[in-house]
Amino acid sequence: MSLFDTHLLNVVVYLPLLFVALLCLLPAGERAQVRAITLIGMLVDLALGVWAYLSFEPGGAEFQFEYRVRWLEQLGVSYHIGVDGLAISLLLLTVFIGPLVVLASRTAITERVKEFHIALLLLQVAMMGALVSLDVLLFYVFWEAMLIPMYLLVGVWGGEDRQAAAVKFFLYTLAGSLLMLVAIVALYFISGTTGTRSFDYASIYNNLVDGHRQISACSATGCGGLDGVAGALHRWGPWMFAAFALAFAIKVPMWPLHTWLPDAYVQAPTGATILLSAVMAKIGVFGFWRYAIPFFPSAMHQVRPVLAALAVVGIVYGALMCLAQRDIKKLLAYSSVSHLGYCMLGILAVTAEGASGGAYQMLNHGVSTGALFLLFGILHERRQTRLMSDYGGIARVVPVYTTAFLIMTFSSIAVPGTNGFVGEFLVLLGTFKSSLGVGFGVFATVGVILGAAYMLWMVQKVFFGPLTHRDNQGLSDLTAREFVTVLPLLVLVVVMGLKPQPFLERLNPSTERFVSRASLGVPGNQIQSDAVRIKVMDLPPSAGPLADRR
Amino acid sequence: MDALKSFFMTAPVEPAVFAQSLWLIIALPLLGAFVCGVFGKQLGRGNVHLIACAMVAGSFALSLLAFWCINHSPSGGTPVAMENPFASGAIRYALGYDYGIWFAAGDFRVNLGLVVDHLSGILLLVITGVGLLIHVYSTSYMEHDESPWRYFAYLNLFIAAMLTLVLADNLVLLFVGWEGVGLASYLLIGFWYSDAAKAWAGRKAFIANRIGDFAFLIASFILVLLVGAFSNQAGPANYSTLGISPESAQVRFREGLQVKGPLTFHGLEAVANALPVSDEKAPNTLTLETIIQAGPLEGRTFGGVLTVALLLFLLGAAGKSAQFPLYVWLPDAMAGPTPVSALIHAATMVTAGVYLFCRMSYLLVLSPTAMLTVMVIGAVTALIAALIAFAQDDIKKVLAYSTVSQLGLMFMGVGAGVFWAAVLHLVTHAFFKACLFLGAGSVMHGNGDETDIKKLGGLRREMKWTWGTFLVATLAITGIVPLSGFFSKDALLHGVHHNHLHGFESASTLLYAVGMLIAACTAFYMSRLYLLTFEGPRSPEARVAHAHESSGYMTVPLVLLAILSVVALVYALPLMPSRAGMQPVMENFLGPVFSSAERIAARGGLVTLDHSLPTLADYLTAWVVALVGGGAAAFAYLKYFPNRGTQPAPAWARAVRRFTQNKFYVDEVYTFLVIRPVKNLGVFLFKLVDTMLIDTVLVRGTAWVTARVGGALRYVQTGDAQAYAAVMALALLGGAVYAIIQVLQ
Repeated sequence: MSLFDTHLLNVVVYLPLLFVALLCLLPAGERAQVRAITLIGMLVDLALGVWAYLSFEPGGAEFQFEYRVRWLEQLGVSYHIGVDGLAISLLLLTVFIGPLVVLASRTAITERVKEFHIALLLLQVAMMGALVSLDVLLFYVFWEAMLIPMYLLVGVWGGEDRQAAAVKFFLYTLAGSLLMLVAIVALYFISGTTGTRSFDYASIYNNLVDGHRQISACSATGCGGLDGVAGALHRWGPWMFAAFALAFAIKVPMWPLHTWLPDAYVQAPTGATILLSAVMAKIGVFGFWRYAIPFFPSAMHQVRPVLAALAVVGIVYGALMCLAQRDIKKLLAYSSVSHLGYCMLGILAVTAEGASGGAYQMLNHGVSTGALFLLFGILHERRQTRLMSDYGGIARVVPVYTTAFLIMTFSSIAVPGTNGFVGEFLVLLGTFKSSLGVGFGVFATVGVILGAAYMLWMVQKVFFGPLTHRDNQGLSDLTAREFVTVLPLLVLVVVMGLKPQPFLERLNPSTERFVSRASLGVPGNQIQSDAVRIKVMDLPPSAGPLADRR
Repeated sequence: MDALKSFFMTAPVEPAVFAQSLWLIIALPLLGAFVCGVFGKQLGRGNVHLIACAMVAGSFALSLLAFWCINHSPSGGTPVAMENPFASGAIRYALGYDYGIWFAAGDFRVNLGLVVDHLSGILLLVITGVGLLIHVYSTSYMEHDESPWRYFAYLNLFIAAMLTLVLADNLVLLFVGWEGVGLASYLLIGFWYSDAAKAWAGRKAFIANRIGDFAFLIASFILVLLVGAFSNQAGPANYSTLGISPESAQVRFREGLQVKGPLTFHGLEAVANALPVSDEKAPNTLTLETIIQAGPLEGRTFGGVLTVALLLFLLGAAGKSAQFPLYVWLPDAMAGPTPVSALIHAATMVTAGVYLFCRMSYLLVLSPTAMLTVMVIGAVTALIAALIAFAQDDIKKVLAYSTVSQLGLMFMGVGAGVFWAAVLHLVTHAFFKACLFLGAGSVMHGNGDETDIKKLGGLRREMKWTWGTFLVATLAITGIVPLSGFFSKDALLHGVHHNHLHGFESASTLLYAVGMLIAACTAFYMSRLYLLTFEGPRSPEARVAHAHESSGYMTVPLVLLAILSVVALVYALPLMPSRAGMQPVMENFLGPVFSSAERIAARGGLVTLDHSLPTLADYLTAWVVALVGGGAAAFAYLKYFPNRGTQPAPAWARAVRRFTQNKFYVDEVYTFLVIRPVKNLGVFLFKLVDTMLIDTVLVRGTAWVTARVGGALRYVQTGDAQAYAAVMALALLGGAVYAIIQVLQ
């Protein structure tokens, strides 16, 4: 491996920091330069991210581009990063959305431009950091770090009720996160004995594996007599799982923890809404996939029907909410609740089809909902209203915009040939194949009808019919900049719909590992511990005097 | 004669080479859609017309070539065949090519595979042929529209989707076409979107189709589970029907599943062939009554699950093919431009449900329950729609209900197992109904877009070409000898009469009688439509004083379609020799496609498929029925009503008419029972659960309680050091007392 490959992931994650430093050197008045520099930073990062994505070997090691150095050894923490198939895919999504957000904010953000872009870049770093961390404490640091720039983006540059929304978002999320911190610390103590304790993802997981095996073996006879790791897991696992799951479920959000979402999505400026829906929500699902479920498969297995039911309720309930909205942005926000229900259901199905579909659906949702928020932001900038009744018949005045919006609508309602179909099909198929029972699949499929009902209803109200409002007559169609912003998303919708395999190829190996790790919680399963253990690079030999004290 | 025969049976290109180019049939109209949609405005009207028509013409030419290739059987050589991935032996008269994986995860995979056989070959020709005529017609019909590029882009998109639907070799790819045509239909119905009612009609069509698609998806998932369970449980005896040695057949079948995925039609055909009803000789053989041992379907029988899947497919087909209970979208779909109604809502898209069941005929014949349901749904739909058509005054609405009714007849045929006759009726219906719709379009074009037949009349003299072709098509749909409609409808009803579903023997006679009633109704409302539009005096309420005949771009397609609706009768004539005597051309031609269904039926126990030809008495009955229907209309509208003068109709007659005219209030019932409750549920949940319960009570409640508790505790923080010390001392004292008690015990 060349030096470049070794550090590639670090470069991708921290490159935005370099541009933050550059921005800090600029005077605040240079808005155009601030935007240009941020855009360049995001584009360079995109190029590097694509490079990393393409050089990721689908059949290779579980974690690639690994990098590990000693750090906070007394605590058992090391700086350890690396990506598996899902993380690299979400990383690609993050760097892909970045430049679009900068472009989308060009005219929308006119105050505190420099600070806005600094917050954007910092948010990118935090989100990517959360995706690449292979140390649980490192993950937690990035996880919490995401909150701060996002809080600022909503609270400073948001709509009329921005502060209330920002506080709600912050407290909601923080409440879950703090419980997760407690669980992380407990996990640290459970998973090792003095001297061998570590926050490293792989070492925690590998220390738990045999415990899970013992629990699944004894589940027929009763697990009262377990001791050691298995006993602790049996006793405390459900509580720790609950703490992890709560934090991630709020972030996703799963029903009924979703009520921060409509406020935050609606009040946030377009750029932040895109990031919230396209990327940040995915990190919640990612948390389930990476941490909550593999760490506590038996606990997950006990409550799986409940969680899956919440996901299905989210799908149907979110869709029903959409039918009751008058505010377009709120409708799109609730449609996110519905779509993320599909992602969660796919994962909770614990079948290869479902999990791959759920993972693919995460990328799809990032593209299509991100695009819908982006497009609505363009319209909102022109008319400054979110109410459906203030539009109507505008297809006549903005044909190109309408076409783009329609294509994204079809992607959102999973018309075959668009990306949405592949994900939704696999999620539903996986649910049918899972041990959850056919009823879950049938109810989730109802979302297919409701999705079309609310999206086409909104399209109808906004674009079709006679042009009733005089203010809409002068609406201008997409400008060249806006078109360039939207075009990559349009292309991606079709490419990901017609040629999904290159994306799925990278997800599938991760999916299979996830499914076998999650199946470890099924009573009486025959999965061998060695088959699911995680292999990562060792801590490099110590260079400093502190190393020997561990 | 032999030279001619040998010419037609020797393809000009090597079939195996041509198979690789099948994708072009779809790609050409797709390219047309892209070019017209993106660059149409810059290209201008003429170029858009040229591109759109040329692409469909190219597709038509390729379809002809494909058709030629699947009939390739040079004298002395072997007929064209493709390898069967799931069983040993070849599939004759079929061509296919697999363009590799589309998507895969876990055990599941879908390939981009296209296949042409005699069934899809016929449909290819109908879609591209009628499609081309309608494209040409549209160039004149839409001459005054301001954005023809949008129209032609959508129309080309539709052709591409429809071709995907019939060329697909698996259910998932078929579903791409299935939803694709729905999408194109949505866009075209709402083409004049500035009129809110038209755009709403598009949405209604899409949602009704989506309800069907919901069932289609679930049915597909169930089939995946079923194929998986079959693969796990089937023993060697099951595979004996698939190849020479059962063991190698099993290996081949499983390899087929791995490389092609579980949802291909050939795979499902292999499963159907390997599922006997019950077999006493080999007690361990998997049969329809075998119980599934593992997985989500555990405890249910193969036959039962299959029936459920087929019933769900029926709901799916009911959405697309406008059958009861989902037919309500089709009459509203008439909001679209008339050529669209001709192409999508008469000739092609709405027949997709019939195609789907013909494609999976081998599965259908395994479940008499499903077949009976298909038949009954078809009969109910056909009857309801025919009755509603009696009272409609809008020329397109009458034709729309007529389409629903004719599709119901096709469903009856499919349900009865006369697949070939259903396909024949599909083809003849495509010709005469397209002709009728285009004729209606021509009438509207020449009469200032008037659609009310009470305000037309007397057009016979003013629009000669339109009149002539409309008359031919009317006679064809009415079932007058010797037009094609007579033969196809009769073949259908003959099959309904003589095929038997075991366990439901009496259904045949009953449904035959219903079929005859439907035929009489058809004759009545079609004659009424024709008479009011073309005969009699010109209505005083007419919009234009003199109707003008349409241009050649419109009349030439009309004439061609009229000719086709006559000559298509050839397919119903018993000209082909077979083992059991002479066979109708279409039955013989589709023989290879339905051979599995025939074989499964011949095993006995489920259905009996009859191959007798209609007798002269049958023909005579049908003819009399049609004449009675037509004659009644002629009497009513030429003799009785004109002479009634100003005398009002009796109250009961007006009540019946109002009830029928309002389509039996089915739309209102749906609004009341489904649409409004769902919408209200959304609003209710939003206001009560989301805003009140979760957000106010739980979320803000938590914050409120926290604030109150904090507020209450504030009073403890007095800052008085002595008070703190007192509390501390008391607590210590309490602790000490507790410790002492513990020790003493």
